[in-house]
Amino acid sequence: MKISWNWLSEMVDLGSVGGPKGLAELLTRRGLEVEAIESQDAGLAKVVTGRILEKGQHPQADRLSLCKVTLGTGEPLEIVCGAQNHKSGDVVVVAQIGAHLPNGLKIAAGKIRGVVSNGMLCSESELGLKEESEGILILPQDTPLGLPIAEILGRTDHLLTLKITPNRADCLSHWGIAREVAAALEKKPSRPEPKLAWDPSKQDANPRTGLEAGELGPQFFGARIEGVRIGPSPEWMVKRLEAVGARSINNVVDSTNLVMFELGQPVHAYDAALLSGHLLVIREARAGEQLPLLDGTTVTLSGTELVIADDAKAVALAGVMGGGNSEVSDSTSAVFLEVAQFDPSLVRKASSRHQKKTEASHRFERGVDAQGLEFAMRRLADLVLETAGGKIVGMSTVRKPAVQPRKISIDSGYCANFLGMPVQAAEVEQVLRSLGCELEPRAGGWNVIPPSFRLDLAIPEDLAEEIARCVGFERIPSEVPTLTDMPTSQAGDARFNARAWIDGAKDRLVGMGFHETVNFSFTSTKWLKELGLASTVKVMNPLSEEHEWMVPSLLPGLLANVLHNTRHRFGSESQPIRICEIRPTFHATGEVAAVGEDQTGVEEKWRLSFVMSGPRFAQALRNEEGEVDFFDGKAIFERLMDSMGARGMRLQPLSASRGGNALAHLVHPGQAAEVLAGNQVAGVIGMIHPKFARAWKLRAPLFMAELDFDALVKMARGAGEARKFSGWPEFPGMERDFALLVKKEVGAEKLAVIALKAGKPLAKVAKIFDVYRGPQVGEGMTSIAVRVIFGDDTRSLQEAETEEVSKKIVEAWRKEAGAELRG
Amino acid sequence: MSVSPDGSVAGMIAQLKSIAEKALADLAQASTLESLDEFRVAVLGKKGSFSEVLKGLGGIPASDRPAIGAAANDWKRKLEEALDARKSELEEKRLASQLESERIDISLPSRQPPAGALHPITQTTRKIIQVFSRLGFDVTTGPEIETEFLTFEAVNIPKDHPARDMQDTFFAGPGVVLRTHTSPVQMRAMREKGEWPVRILSPGAVYRCDDDATHSPMFHQIEGLWVDHGVKMSHLKGVLEFFAREIFGSDSKIRLRPSYFPFVEPGAEVDVSCFNCSGRGDDGCRVCRGSGWLEILGAGMVHPRLFEMAGFDKKSGYAGLTGFAFGLGVERIAMLLHRISDLRLMYQGDLRFLSQFRA
Repeated sequence: MKISWNWLSEMVDLGSVGGPKGLAELLTRRGLEVEAIESQDAGLAKVVTGRILEKGQHPQADRLSLCKVTLGTGEPLEIVCGAQNHKSGDVVVVAQIGAHLPNGLKIAAGKIRGVVSNGMLCSESELGLKEESEGILILPQDTPLGLPIAEILGRTDHLLTLKITPNRADCLSHWGIAREVAAALEKKPSRPEPKLAWDPSKQDANPRTGLEAGELGPQFFGARIEGVRIGPSPEWMVKRLEAVGARSINNVVDSTNLVMFELGQPVHAYDAALLSGHLLVIREARAGEQLPLLDGTTVTLSGTELVIADDAKAVALAGVMGGGNSEVSDSTSAVFLEVAQFDPSLVRKASSRHQKKTEASHRFERGVDAQGLEFAMRRLADLVLETAGGKIVGMSTVRKPAVQPRKISIDSGYCANFLGMPVQAAEVEQVLRSLGCELEPRAGGWNVIPPSFRLDLAIPEDLAEEIARCVGFERIPSEVPTLTDMPTSQAGDARFNARAWIDGAKDRLVGMGFHETVNFSFTSTKWLKELGLASTVKVMNPLSEEHEWMVPSLLPGLLANVLHNTRHRFGSESQPIRICEIRPTFHATGEVAAVGEDQTGVEEKWRLSFVMSGPRFAQALRNEEGEVDFFDGKAIFERLMDSMGARGMRLQPLSASRGGNALAHLVHPGQAAEVLAGNQVAGVIGMIHPKFARAWKLRAPLFMAELDFDALVKMARGAGEARKFSGWPEFPGMERDFALLVKKEVGAEKLAVIALKAGKPLAKVAKIFDVYRGPQVGEGMTSIAVRVIFGDDTRSLQEAETEEVSKKIVEAWRKEAGAELRG
Repeated sequence: MSVSPDGSVAGMIAQLKSIAEKALADLAQASTLESLDEFRVAVLGKKGSFSEVLKGLGGIPASDRPAIGAAANDWKRKLEEALDARKSELEEKRLASQLESERIDISLPSRQPPAGALHPITQTTRKIIQVFSRLGFDVTTGPEIETEFLTFEAVNIPKDHPARDMQDTFFAGPGVVLRTHTSPVQMRAMREKGEWPVRILSPGAVYRCDDDATHSPMFHQIEGLWVDHGVKMSHLKGVLEFFAREIFGSDSKIRLRPSYFPFVEPGAEVDVSCFNCSGRGDDGCRVCRGSGWLEILGAGMVHPRLFEMAGFDKKSGYAGLTGFAFGLGVERIAMLLHRISDLRLMYQGDLRFLSQFRA
């Protein structure tokens, strides 16, 4: 909202405030934030009036004139001018050397086609008065010379743009701001006192006003003025409106707007001839009712709005906009003035349903001063009579009984205690009175009755805020609160554990070379489709196609990151890409809709995902490089599981999957694994499916993993749980190596598992240390070398014992895996 | 080899001397450890020249033998000493040449495993949590998709109230929103606990329909809440001042400006003195643009309506209950601390950006 310094200074003495900047500081300090100050004379310094003494021809250029210009005193200036519309004797606008015009032009001494020009004669567009103009501005002959043009044009105002918070409806006008400033400066504000005496008993208005919506439209003042002449508004009115950013339309409409900007009460004027019947009412709209509006659109009403209606039709969308069917026009000779009050939330609903945000709705939905309507009506009638002439021929007032004023009871020490600030009772009293509150003393405190325009003052805390902002927040000291109970125990708390593991897992991944990324939780239809994924949670009002769906997986984001990084890099070198993210993904099995107070139908599943691609080393010589493959990725997975102590997390070939893995199609079917947490599917890891690699022209192999983080945390040890020391084997182990021949479908790990099981309890370790496929072992076969380490915690083993166990193991291999010892 | 030319004692001693002296003179010719070994065998070995002479001892009268033995031992000791000295000389030489041949160019690039980094949002979040943890705040989290009720109504932003305009909201279904702030988490926490004191911090992602150079449709917030009997606005100021000092430097000051947030009363915008120009508001200061202050958070005293919505039992004394709350944007603080100029960089996953925040 814009506030005019000149307008405001007519209502309150601003002499001591320190100019527009000081006023802005004062308002901001009191919670009325000033976002910008603009001065109308900006760019008009060193721009003054002058008279052309002599218009001569530029010696070098036909189309340029060389003018001798006097500024009233001093030596005349020689100025080159390119315009054609001036002559000797004209009073013109001279931009002197050093001026910096509103259109950005800087005036410096310089030669134009060989002749020195000591300034510039200005056009209206150069002065920022009009978008376009032809020729230079010629002023009336009697204009005094040498005066600043800002003064001549009356551009002396300063405009403050205020960001009024929704609670301060009372500050949406010059009068409101004047009250606030006056309270701060301990002065008395004043406003134009209307001459018209309001007396509906004298002569009823035609139509009379009526209330048919009960408390939803509790007050309606109406007045009929006949014999008006619609025409342009007087200059002072135009200036005032234009200063605050409103366009002048005609004297009647301008009067209504002026009242709103002056007093904060939106008002309306109808062409009385277009109203039918003898009664104009506030009523609820009828569903399906059509209403043409002032902006040329027609709205179909839903039935929840309030309208102003005559006996035949709705003539205004109450609180939002007047009707196009009753608009004041040049031929209007009688006007009907409306000043009313509406339920704020109904106005807001109507304005958002029909997408009409107006200055009126902005004020009505925040609430108007219930005691201010009559004054506004008198002021409006005064202005219409003054600017459009005519005679008031009737007045009408209908209003529901006034609501009892609120009383807020506070103890005299309440504010000091609540704010923790030394503020005496006398000061509290003084501040509240300065704001227009009435104080009824009672034992130990007061009953405070806020003024009718302060709709935001309802509870003691509101009064404490008034004290704090009026005496200044800087007077509140800084103190540290004390704990009155023990901090919440985190030990054994599942949610704390999950959060701690989010941090823990991130730290581990970072330690393994991953960069954590934060991707939007949004994704697009297009990208989901390309990845063959589907989301079940849609954003109903997305900003763009990119933000249409909530992510069902973190991989869409991470894969986009990979593509971004392969496309945006410095030089052509392939670089290691290791990116991870731990964030929720969004899923719905049914309708997304609120159930009760706290259910949404959306399930948020936290995932831990990572992608890796490119060289194994961030830096190494060429012959030492090598690009990551499945086993690099598997190593990350295993290290993560190990560090989290996540037992029971296993991998199985995708071929063994029982289906239902929503991400399986993204990975290479032969180079990927399904992650199991116990028997639950808990993710997938693997190399990207070649069809994506080809489509995206990926140059390097890409590994990706997405794990169900909640399942992982369930399997992990407690985040804060200390690891237990378990000693180590005291007696040396005995190693045996076996070379086995198995069908290539047999997973190598199975051999190790069999060995440990069959070799219990002496077989302590079994590991795969070599694998060979090729002509020497025959088609379809793999040679796998397994090392088994035997041991006993209480003694050294005898050769014969390991021999015996080894036989058992070999036998188990044969039976369970079809493995034969190689000769 | 003959025993001695004349078989006399003196002759034998002279012979030993001559062999030894020659050997000592020739020693320098053994230029490798291997040739030195051969040399040793040729002189002192069982069949060496020295031993051959001593084989003639049998023909010497027993009374003369000690003299010859003494002389022989004497020469043998000298020879061995010389051989050993030569040996260590050669060994040293060999080591030196080995070292020389093993010399590497230490300026070659190292073999470096990839290094990673936490996102600046995470780093900043952790830093902030750490500061408030010292004061006794616990961390709570909650869903990012929330009911409209908990996001708005429960925190005193009724339907059809202009305060709704302050936060442009994404909807995911009837009555379901992408939370615009983490206040619903605090409401859930209060409802769950059902009593006070409450001292919680709720960090997390929030969403607003806004996308320009300074607004992102998803960003991160940390809200704090302290509810107890006797909590005053001065406590809020103290806690925030401590926070500002810990995050922005020990000489930081804060400034509260009155403002409005529906869930607090009074409400304030909080500025911290510019850490770049020490709050002087230097003309050229790129961080505060000359104002000396940085707007970092919103705060206030908890609106009593929230205690009612939390389901606190009035009978057990919530009448005099007070609290303070604050909310800050993590990105804003991360951008200030790391001098990040463009908010959008945060969400692009660009390694050129992410790799600059390695710890």
